[in-house]
Amino acid sequence: MSLFISDVKHVSPVEEKKAQNRVMRLKQAVQDAKPGICTERAVIWTAYHKDGTNRRKPVCVQMAEALRNVLLQKTIAIYPDELIVGNFSSKRVGGSIFPELHGVPVLMDIFKFSKRKTNPLQVSGREIATLLKIVPFWMFRFLALKAYKNPLKKIALALHQLKGHFYVINESGGISHIAPDYETLITIGTEGIREKACRTQEKFKKSTAQWEFLEGVKIVCDALSAFGRRYARLAHDMAVSEPDADRKEELLTIAHVCERVPQKGASTLQEALQSIFLAQIAINLESLDNAVSPGRMDQYLYPFYKKDIEDGRLTHLEAKERIAAFSIKMAEIIPVFSDYLTRVHGGMFNGQVITVGGVDREGNDCVNPLTSIFLEVMDELRMRQPNYHARIASVSGTDYLKKINDTLALGSGSPALYNDDVIIDTMTSHGYSVADARDYTAVGCVEPVSQGKSFASTDAALFNMPVVLEMALNQGKKFGSVMRSGTRTKPASEMTSMADVKNAFEAQLAFQIKKMIGDLRAIETANMSHHPTPLTSMLLDGCVEKGVCSTKGGARYNFSGIQCVAPADTGDALYAIEKAVFTDRKMSLFDLVGHLQKNLEDPRMMVYLKGIPKFGNDMAEVDKWTVYVVEQFITQLSLFENTRGGKYVAGLYSVTVHDHFGRVTGALSHGRRKGESFSSGISPVNGMDKEGPTALINSVNRIDSRKIANGINFNLKFDAHTLKGETGKKALQSILNTYFKKGGMQVQVNVIDPAMLIAARDNPDLYPNLLVRVSGYSSYFNDLTPEMKEEIIRRSTICI
Amino acid sequence: MNGNKGQPAIIFDIQRFSLHDGPGIRTTVFLKGCPLSCAWCQNPESISRDPEMAFYKESCLGCFECKLVCPKNAIMDSEEKRVRHEVCDACGKCANVCVSRGLRRIGERWGREKLIQTLLKDEAFFEESGGGITFSGGEPMLQHHFLYDVLPYLKEKGLHINIETSGMFRWERMERMLPFFDLIYFDLKHMDRSLHKTYTGVDNRLILENFLKLSRSFENLQARMPVIPGINDDVENIMKTAQYLIHANSRTIHLLPYHPLGESKLLRIHSSLRALNINPHQPEDLERIEGLFKKEGIDVVIYQ
Repeated sequence: MSLFISDVKHVSPVEEKKAQNRVMRLKQAVQDAKPGICTERAVIWTAYHKDGTNRRKPVCVQMAEALRNVLLQKTIAIYPDELIVGNFSSKRVGGSIFPELHGVPVLMDIFKFSKRKTNPLQVSGREIATLLKIVPFWMFRFLALKAYKNPLKKIALALHQLKGHFYVINESGGISHIAPDYETLITIGTEGIREKACRTQEKFKKSTAQWEFLEGVKIVCDALSAFGRRYARLAHDMAVSEPDADRKEELLTIAHVCERVPQKGASTLQEALQSIFLAQIAINLESLDNAVSPGRMDQYLYPFYKKDIEDGRLTHLEAKERIAAFSIKMAEIIPVFSDYLTRVHGGMFNGQVITVGGVDREGNDCVNPLTSIFLEVMDELRMRQPNYHARIASVSGTDYLKKINDTLALGSGSPALYNDDVIIDTMTSHGYSVADARDYTAVGCVEPVSQGKSFASTDAALFNMPVVLEMALNQGKKFGSVMRSGTRTKPASEMTSMADVKNAFEAQLAFQIKKMIGDLRAIETANMSHHPTPLTSMLLDGCVEKGVCSTKGGARYNFSGIQCVAPADTGDALYAIEKAVFTDRKMSLFDLVGHLQKNLEDPRMMVYLKGIPKFGNDMAEVDKWTVYVVEQFITQLSLFENTRGGKYVAGLYSVTVHDHFGRVTGALSHGRRKGESFSSGISPVNGMDKEGPTALINSVNRIDSRKIANGINFNLKFDAHTLKGETGKKALQSILNTYFKKGGMQVQVNVIDPAMLIAARDNPDLYPNLLVRVSGYSSYFNDLTPEMKEEIIRRSTICI
Repeated sequence: MNGNKGQPAIIFDIQRFSLHDGPGIRTTVFLKGCPLSCAWCQNPESISRDPEMAFYKESCLGCFECKLVCPKNAIMDSEEKRVRHEVCDACGKCANVCVSRGLRRIGERWGREKLIQTLLKDEAFFEESGGGITFSGGEPMLQHHFLYDVLPYLKEKGLHINIETSGMFRWERMERMLPFFDLIYFDLKHMDRSLHKTYTGVDNRLILENFLKLSRSFENLQARMPVIPGINDDVENIMKTAQYLIHANSRTIHLLPYHPLGESKLLRIHSSLRALNINPHQPEDLERIEGLFKKEGIDVVIYQ
């Protein structure tokens, strides 16, 4: 019998129904809750830092104590039906403000949050007043302003960040993007980690950076244990007054569990899940509340599941119920984004990832009954978070593959699929040991990291690639601008070959990347000196052992991921120049640039340029330009190293920033007018892949994904009709198998009925929870901006 | 034009990721030209053997660059029609200058090498899915010289090859190619000789004869039937078709339900066909027809 299918003992239908009802009630409560903004973290953090006596303490200790105060003072709650407890914010579904990071710019929107159409966030007048009171204190103290000492550079960086024409640096809001070492947490507990910290601390003198960092770790360990005990007390008090006998018993169990974890190592599945969730909350409160990814839960939880089952403590059904409860809890944590950030990172999503399946550290198929439970929970819940990923290895069993394929063919949109062979290769060639590479999980959207060992800042920055071409054709200026924001290159009138165009493009790219890296390194240094993260660090292998914070490079593996946004637009624009100007000689480059400066107002010109073949149709002579763009990006990035001693690596995903970059970029030679959205991730320009999925895959596979260490996002879209029935399922399976065999790295399958999307656009109330894939993650359709909705509709109608 | 060895084929479309023209993922090659002109034809642009111009008025920008380059003075100013087909020789100069693809040439010449190269692009997908190549049309057998020329190369690559035929071919031409085919989809449109002629322009004697011969000499012969409301869906015709299949020792039929999508193409080209203006079958009609076949012991697969 396959390992994948667990030995399910017969459960009575009544019990099954009871569990299902609880899970559905929990889900309903979370989906019905109006998302809101919680002021508590901001207020407690500010109070701590306003206290003059604290300012003399080492910065690591400050961070640890501020976090401790948040964990000990914030409101706590246990909601009806809950088995796994812990509330991220004071609202059922809520987000926090981080005034010392990006909170001040976010608060510029404070009066808009509750009224805005996209992702409204509830915030009362009183809460607004509370938040406004803390702004003056942070006005000149937040992180981005600490990056540069020179006031002119400070202003330049701030303006740059606000406009986001060339790149968007996310590290100014903190770093995060980790798959914490939860295995260690649930094995030895915070007391075990604290003990390790104490042992290392003995090696260092007081007042050394190491000693101070480890002091921070100790404070955080104690705080996390105390956080658990707060829930234990609450559960106990609630149990006393609980009239329902069953619920009373549950509350007493919760009290018992929280009394033990996260302080001690977990002894049951429920304790393990509880320990992880409390840590999950705390990490999201420490620094950037983004992409804190539990990762390979089916692996590190399996021993607990197995033992519980063997000891007869837990049934398969109960395990599933607890995992569903945990999964729902993750959806309570949301980010607070300003309108601008919503454009860049659309949807109320903060990148919490669960990855299942694949191979273990020895390279063997490690799918187990928990893998199956997670996939079922994912499919039955279909909530915006967490983001589910499945690893596919050449040794993966057919039951596992079939289950995933069938789920996808029916249109669940999840899980996204990852090719173990390619990713493990990619990671080892970028410095990972084979065993650590095999132990990868995705974090955030699609970025592979080693579980508990990488500090990979995978979303450090997103880079606008097409704007580089705009400047290359206009001597380093954006069209219509007098200011030179790039470097001076040849005017178009003097370019006589594609080699000239390439030279200008490469010069502008080098200039812009150097500028971005300069800003990024300044912000890295600011994070290091002003916002160390002892909690994040103690859950990354290497930091406690060395006594070095992850912001300083303490983790075993260090990287910074920079996204190359819209390579297909850039490649297509280059090919259009080659074809129109140098091959077919329809016009001079000077004339073409003239048309672009006039925003392609002549419709014939626009239509002509649009009609030139595009990336995604399996035409080598066209695709080679997108390949060129990606390779240039990788080459130029590889010249730099981050301040943590890690490489800058390229990613090909764009969240929703391709829409924002499109808005601020001028007309381009593939027939795109100013302001139109760019292509997402590795995808072709919207609607331009006309030869179907096989041609699209062949095109995409021309990009060597083994060089894209920060991951790719490849959307494969089908209309519901195509994948109907057994023929459709088989076709999907063949498509995915072939894509992976030919070296594809990642794929997510969207099966969409365009009619439903159009109905959802026109009657949002009728489809409150329609889940769609955006970019490496899912979002409720109604959470998207009108432009993004149109894009998703466009994507779905012109698939095949 | 398409007569002799080494001559190019006239192809009006190549469709990758076809899921309904045989097993697995396939690339379907649509060869131009058909001896039949069925009243319900889904691809009326496939009937004429020669390239022809089509006008997509919704794409037209109204710039009339086409008029400037046409050597035959075949461009009209009318909103609805642009090409005077009587004088047009489909040289395609107008399509070359038409940036919006309002004018397109239907039917391009494809040499053997280029076609093979294109078909092999999806080889990995064929292999994984058990798919391959399907030759469709039009009537692919009209370009038998080209097929005979290209098939050995495809076979050598181990590709699964299917042909979709109207059955209107000279037997010797098919016979010599049988070793290359893995599957033959054969359309049976009407059992009545004169009605067949009325609706398709040719009588069915040769077609039925060829079907019988194939059923004896070729293993994977699959009958298909476009079911057209009011034309061939009556009980009598269904029963006759079923009996004929039993006579030919064929036990399954694929039914292709009528839909009017092809008729929208009629306005774009020069065609003697007219829209049928009939409603497609409802699912229960199709079930009824399926029932009739089943009663006679014929298995039915209904497309879509």
